[in-house]
Amino acid sequence: MPFDPHFLVRLIPALLVGAEVTVELAVLTIAICLVWGLVVALAHSSRGPLGWIAGAYIQVVRNTPLLIQLYIVYFGLSMIGMGLSGFASGLLALCIQNGGYVAEIYRGGLQAVSARQYEAGRALGMRRWTLYTTVVMPQVVARIIPPMTNQGISIIKDTSQVAAIAVMEMMKVAQVWVESSANTYDVFLGVAIIYLALTSVANLAGKFAERRLAFVQ
Amino acid sequence: MKEFAPLLHSYWYLLRGAEMTLLMAVVAVVPATLLGILLALLQLFGKRFARAAVLGYLFVIRGIPLLVLLTFTYYLLPLTGIDLPPFWGVVVVLAFYYGAFMSEVFRAGILSLPRAQWDAARSLGMSRRLMLQIVIFPQALRLAAPPFVNLCVNLVKATSLVSIVGLWELTMASREIVERTLAPFQIFLGAAAIYFCICYTLALYGKYLERRVVHGH
Repeated sequence: MPFDPHFLVRLIPALLVGAEVTVELAVLTIAICLVWGLVVALAHSSRGPLGWIAGAYIQVVRNTPLLIQLYIVYFGLSMIGMGLSGFASGLLALCIQNGGYVAEIYRGGLQAVSARQYEAGRALGMRRWTLYTTVVMPQVVARIIPPMTNQGISIIKDTSQVAAIAVMEMMKVAQVWVESSANTYDVFLGVAIIYLALTSVANLAGKFAERRLAFVQ
Repeated sequence: MKEFAPLLHSYWYLLRGAEMTLLMAVVAVVPATLLGILLALLQLFGKRFARAAVLGYLFVIRGIPLLVLLTFTYYLLPLTGIDLPPFWGVVVVLAFYYGAFMSEVFRAGILSLPRAQWDAARSLGMSRRLMLQIVIFPQALRLAAPPFVNLCVNLVKATSLVSIVGLWELTMASREIVERTLAPFQIFLGAAAIYFCICYTLALYGKYLERRVVHGH
């Protein structure tokens, strides 16, 4: 019987507990990837073996499924004696994969800054650090906000795959509830609405950041 | 090399899984592309109601994880009484999901053509249908080709999720072997290598198409 109010009263708090784990995973992944992705992008733009390694990393993680990466981290590491908890494995795999995507977004932003900006900065006698923090990065940030927002939304959705290694985030909670009750419609609607709410919030946050920071066009 | 014996013993099984992965991806990409073109055209040229309907569809599909859609199709299809084999069930879900993303690619391709192309076609007295057929589509499809190929990479990776709802393909095959050999690291690395070969080939083709767009023919 769909839309049974007695069922919904018990279902919604349970889903929200799962949603909390989903949000934790997503926020941590986004925060770590913003830093890790920049490190990879800068390494990729350097010459020599470091640039080559960063390039290989980006191609490998972008061209293999997150689910397989999750299995390698969760089952593989525990087999060689470096086992991590489900949550930590999920977080690590999410960061490994999305770090590659975020690095490519940074790279696109860095490439869009013209060589003249660097020349002008150097002509003014700026040191490398000052040049990057006051001239280059503000322009990069302004350009990458829309693709970063999309990546953030994609990360929120990707966290559902962590259910495959039994982390009790929203998707796993939903599976447990579907299997232990017959109210499949209610659970589906609840999960769908919460995911839509989370991705919409991420979208609005991106729009807000764009208005505040995107001064370059 | 002794550690990789389990992989050497079972690579044939993995390759058969890869065959299923490719089959699923190829069968899903055709309806996804058609749906994407249809949605893009409706959003660009449809009546107000059609445009609103397409926007609603895109909002819902892009805000919900694919895994949620797959899982609940798995639970809901038997309840609705539709008798669809699991293979076709997931193909339908993949097509509806990726159709939404494809529509954005095609819409962007059509919108990024210079206005002069439309004006020139109209000034020659072409009907809208003829204009789309011989002026707009050939150019827009060329522009849309690189991001389209990138979406195909994502689709191949996404087929790994159907293993969670019990379909047999590369990821499921690798999980079966792991249960038998207890060598998750080696087997999942092997599966990742196969995914990489498929996806990286596609990605390189996308790069090639992109260079052709940027540098003319």
